[in-house]
Amino acid sequence: MLRVENTLFTVVMLAYFAAMILYFVFIAVKKDGLAKAAMLLQAGGLLLHTAALVCRGVGAGRLPLTNQYEFATAFAWGLSLVSLVFVVRFRFPVLGAFAAPVVFLVIGYAAMQSREVRELMPALRSNWLGFHVSTAIIAYGAFGVSFVLGIIFLLRERMAAGGFLDHHIPGREKLDMIAYRSVSLGLLFLTFTILTGAIWAERAWGSYWSWDPKETWSLVTWIIYANYLHLRIRKGWAGRAAAIFAVAGFVCVLFTYVGVNTLLPGVHSYA
Amino acid sequence: MSSLKRVWKFISSMKFAILLLAVLSLACAAGSFVTQGQTYEWYARQTSERTAALILALGLDDAFHSAWFLVITGFLCLNLLLCNVLRLPPLIRRTAAAGAPPRTLNAPFDARVDALSDPESLFGKLRMPAPKRSTDDMGREVLFASKHRAGLWGAWVCHLGILLLILGFALGQATREQYTVYGVPGDVRPIGDTGYMLVIDDFRIGLRADDTVEQYTADITVYDMNADGAPSRSATISVNNPATLYGMKFFQNSTGWAATVRVLKSGEEIQREVVCAGDYLTVKDNADLVVCLNAFYPDYVFTPGVGPSTASGKLDNPAYLYSVYYQERMLGMNALMEGEELTIDDYTVTFSDPQSYTLIQVKRDRFTWLALAGGLIVLAGLALALYAPTARVWAIRDANGAWTAFGACPKGGALFRERFQRAAQAKEDTTDASS
Repeated sequence: MLRVENTLFTVVMLAYFAAMILYFVFIAVKKDGLAKAAMLLQAGGLLLHTAALVCRGVGAGRLPLTNQYEFATAFAWGLSLVSLVFVVRFRFPVLGAFAAPVVFLVIGYAAMQSREVRELMPALRSNWLGFHVSTAIIAYGAFGVSFVLGIIFLLRERMAAGGFLDHHIPGREKLDMIAYRSVSLGLLFLTFTILTGAIWAERAWGSYWSWDPKETWSLVTWIIYANYLHLRIRKGWAGRAAAIFAVAGFVCVLFTYVGVNTLLPGVHSYA
Repeated sequence: MSSLKRVWKFISSMKFAILLLAVLSLACAAGSFVTQGQTYEWYARQTSERTAALILALGLDDAFHSAWFLVITGFLCLNLLLCNVLRLPPLIRRTAAAGAPPRTLNAPFDARVDALSDPESLFGKLRMPAPKRSTDDMGREVLFASKHRAGLWGAWVCHLGILLLILGFALGQATREQYTVYGVPGDVRPIGDTGYMLVIDDFRIGLRADDTVEQYTADITVYDMNADGAPSRSATISVNNPATLYGMKFFQNSTGWAATVRVLKSGEEIQREVVCAGDYLTVKDNADLVVCLNAFYPDYVFTPGVGPSTASGKLDNPAYLYSVYYQERMLGMNALMEGEELTIDDYTVTFSDPQSYTLIQVKRDRFTWLALAGGLIVLAGLALALYAPTARVWAIRDANGAWTAFGACPKGGALFRERFQRAAQAKEDTTDASS
């Protein structure tokens, strides 16, 4: 099973890479048919990605969500899923073109991690693991999409009116609303993540909150996005400022994910 | 407006909330970068004397319990409380108003479509409840429906949840009783000053085929020494599976090594005790003499420049790192191999029978439920605020029989407008095609 997972992982990387190239070509040659092909390829890659995660889980005999490799590949899966849902839901293939490199970077990061399957330490042997990490994957995926939307928003301001991209990117107000939707999804799931993590920590360590760096940075991320929501309803803060906030928020998400594990060791150091 | 009123208004404002959240996130980040609970010497060693002094002066060594952190949190609570109290009456009014058609001609709306022939299907396409028919003050026929009125309460509920969460956490921190008990099977230990005794009946380390640890399990019995006859209750605890006995929660927290220390005087055994790594043993007939088992290495290796370590978890080459004190002055520190003896004047000390000890954490926090309830309320509030946007749709029939439809969904913005126009357009297209 793990050998199958290895093969599938390589195929998934290639599929995401090909989808990214197709999205780029769609923008370069301005043919809508290519966008559809890129979306189909991304959807196919996502299906295979799901199969790869299932194979990993079956091969390891547990949920494949416990080390850097497993979380990184699951993060890429979440990002790919949420971006595809937003692309289809809002008929917005340019979002796919901007999200695809981020998906590819995250899965590339996963490819650089050790794929060794290790047995779980006692603290990780809990049913809460599935709830805690899977909600984090969706939250991070949604924040990734809001980051991409923030970038698109900021770039849109410099685009010439009437051009191909101008026609394929929604207006500022709608773009801001789509970003708001992705932040809403991310914040709701991040709240789930923090809550399930606290319940689990209470059972495993006897303390639902101990200011561990990962906990603290999850709270910092939560506060940043909570501030995003407050700022958006203040006059003059929706749009550009909110887009900058969405970009900054995702930098914080990445620090919570990678930076905390490497720079600030704590009880989450195995993650 | 008086200065006091201005301050009061600012404290209850959203601007202040945004400022507090920004400061709080910076404070949390700062606290996460500084290792908490260390001494000046430790910080000076890791950074510089100047930085160490700054860390202590700013209270960054215990950032999350420092006065400034508590002040920020206190202001946040005050802001949330005021926000919720002041918003309650208008919120009740708005909720009531959202359930009825607008009374004025210039009621605010986000979307509008004129000259509709069949407005009822618009409600269906927008997934609104079936509209209610009424007549307005000017005698015109009005169709009206609203949905997700509870969504108006989302932020209010979320704020309430945060307040309860902080309250539960603060009360828990202030009143929490926490003890650490450790020992080997057979040990009887008091649980702090609670009047309860804990007996470690058994401690097992479950290993997999590859020698990795699968689970730490302890069988415990707790005796209530305050009650007549000292009744007892027993439980088995393991990592992720705590037990509650006599209102206290028992957690299998960690483990370490212990060894039997024998003290002989002139060849005759005068003392034999199981000592956990890190613990001290005072010699029975000479209180000035103290032996400490600093560490135990099951598979001892000494690397010059690095120091002692263990090559594996197996008992292949056991060694005991000890230190000896006389009248609180360290006489020496060294490692003894299994079977070797340490001689101090008439006394001989040996270490043997290495075994695992268990560390059990005992906790009583009467407010965990409040923090949990707060967390769940935050979640419910967010779900309401973000996923139940209040929407109102109404249509008015003019004297010529044509309908004008309006939609209001403050949180829907451009997406609601687009949906509204599409729904109206789709209906009109269908009508055109069929006619």
